Amino acid sequence: MELFKPIVEATVAGDEERCVALAQEVLDKGVDPLQAIEQGYTKGMAIVGDKFSRMEYYLPELIRCADAMKAAMDVLKPHLGKGQDGGVQGTVVIGTIQGDLHDLGKNIVKTMLQAAAFTVHDLGCDVQVRSFIDKAEEQDVDVIAASAILTTTMAYMPDLVNLLSDMNLRDRFKVMVGGAPVTPEYADEAGADGYGENAAEAVETAKRLVQSRRGGA
Amino acid sequence: MSMIGFWDVYKRSETGPFIKEQDFDRQVGTVAGQLAQKHEIRFDPEQVIPADDGLADRMYKAALELFLELGIYCRDTSRLIKFSREEVQWALKHAPTSVTYGQGPDTRIMRQRKIEDSLPPFCLNTPVGCTVAEERFVAMVQSYAQEPLSDTFSSAFSQTVGGRPIKSGTPQEVEAAIWNVVKLREAARAAGRPLIGIHNLISNAEKTDATLAAIQEEFGAHPNDGLGVAAIAEMKADYERMKKVVFLDHKGYNRYGLYGPIMGGYAGGPEATAIVHVAHHFLGLLAFGAQWHDGFPLHLMQGCNSTRDLLWLISVTGQALARNTHLLIGVSPFTAAGPCTEMVIHEIAAIVLAATVSGLHLNLVAVARNKLPERSSGMEARIGSETAHLIAKQGITRKKANEIVKKILGEYESKIPEAPKGKRFDECYDLKTVRPTQEYLDVYDRCKEKLTGFGLEYKE
Repeated sequence: MELFKPIVEATVAGDEERCVALAQEVLDKGVDPLQAIEQGYTKGMAIVGDKFSRMEYYLPELIRCADAMKAAMDVLKPHLGKGQDGGVQGTVVIGTIQGDLHDLGKNIVKTMLQAAAFTVHDLGCDVQVRSFIDKAEEQDVDVIAASAILTTTMAYMPDLVNLLSDMNLRDRFKVMVGGAPVTPEYADEAGADGYGENAAEAVETAKRLVQSRRGGA
Repeated sequence: MSMIGFWDVYKRSETGPFIKEQDFDRQVGTVAGQLAQKHEIRFDPEQVIPADDGLADRMYKAALELFLELGIYCRDTSRLIKFSREEVQWALKHAPTSVTYGQGPDTRIMRQRKIEDSLPPFCLNTPVGCTVAEERFVAMVQSYAQEPLSDTFSSAFSQTVGGRPIKSGTPQEVEAAIWNVVKLREAARAAGRPLIGIHNLISNAEKTDATLAAIQEEFGAHPNDGLGVAAIAEMKADYERMKKVVFLDHKGYNRYGLYGPIMGGYAGGPEATAIVHVAHHFLGLLAFGAQWHDGFPLHLMQGCNSTRDLLWLISVTGQALARNTHLLIGVSPFTAAGPCTEMVIHEIAAIVLAATVSGLHLNLVAVARNKLPERSSGMEARIGSETAHLIAKQGITRKKANEIVKKILGEYESKIPEAPKGKRFDECYDLKTVRPTQEYLDVYDRCKEKLTGFGLEYKE
């Protein structure tokens, strides 16, 4: 489809005006919006994510591109067919864990997950362990993602897993963790299902966990 | 012109313009990027340590413009704390010209350093909160305190206290903070330097109540010890940390501002992040009343500041401040490699070189990306301090430093993503004598030879 290439280019350029105009053109020409999302915008954001991982793009560029894609989604989503979800990969509740006010890493992972077509519920910083679980239940998410930048707050990660168990919810949600002091070994010790060393790895982990939760692997 | 005090800052945090945090984060990147372009600030990979006074001055101008335009974001009220140019200039004019740490024979005075200064950097030596088993905590911090070139020292992070993990906001955090002060002073005594200054008494408590509970004479805090007060993210402050300012104002302990902008994060690339980093010094001066300033700019993906672009950032931000203010400024080297490796020595040498010729003091040193438990030792502080002293004494110029640093980069730059994690503290030191192993001394000797070949004269 001739429209998809310019959509990819506009997304990679972070050109919000052009992304929205192209979304309107998709509708005007009767192109399948789901195809435009998957083969245009999502593909473009995958390129943006790669550029970010290689530090060819920095966070401001990543955010600009994600904003441009979101503006186009707002145009296209009302026109998706019944039962179509716009190619949503999974649902994640994310936050920086109790006592921790640092949100850079969490925000990057959130943006990268959204760019990879995840629905993300962001609880912000200093999120009580119980609040992660309440939101996960409320939204029936696939994955609970917790971040910590401090050793003293990382210590709440095992509490999150333990509370899920005590509430008989451990099998219902996958848990992934990350952040500056968190190592793969610590993630294992804490009882998490997955770990992300960086944002790109976090997205891959989330995909794997969603697949696993839904019985794909 | 009138003085701007802490309570003026506090008032503005309640009354300043409202802005959503997400919008502020975006503004940081936008404004810093625009100012980098306006002032023609460009990172040149061949000029890792630039000898360009014009660049340093443009950097300073851009940072001041950024600070005046953005102000400080107060996390608790979602309001901007803004300042006039006159207020910033007043604060700069009246900023401290020296800070005294320690007592008696271990009294040390930090003074301003200029570019290419022969005055050696003040060496605040510390494992930077490296996680360590409770039973090895004292030995690890002692290994820093006992180094003759350590002007002050500070803390590791004990995995447990009384066998219990430390969790923020719990009663255990208060217990752990008190334990931390007691054990730091115990380590000072074990090092034979009971009166050495502790520049950051508490590094294992996030909540201020725990910090304040622990800073007491009876636990081992001395009058010339101190505390770091951190900006929580790019150009942001919060009440939890500002509570410390009030306490410090009343008690008179030393204080420094702590700023860790992330290159690749909210600000953007090296140029924009450098502008934001310089602006953080105005934040610390005005909001925290910081006597001196410690930066730990980091690479978003690599979690260290030994990369080429971060070395440039360290150098050019140091030069900008050293040329345009009399602020006491420092940097915390963060390496990718861990202890007892050639790579960690090369990384330390490169960062120390960039910092020393650019007017900075040193907070030595976070290794193994400050992430891996047990991987930190006083040897890294020794390597950094000795290297800093010889660079200052040798009178190395920025131009020569640039040639040397590129040779050092050639030794490790490509290995950063897969840097060796190195050895554990108990593999680097004899725990009974708290002395480094011969193996580590030999690795250092080999590196000294190589670095001497590059132009750093390690000979006695």
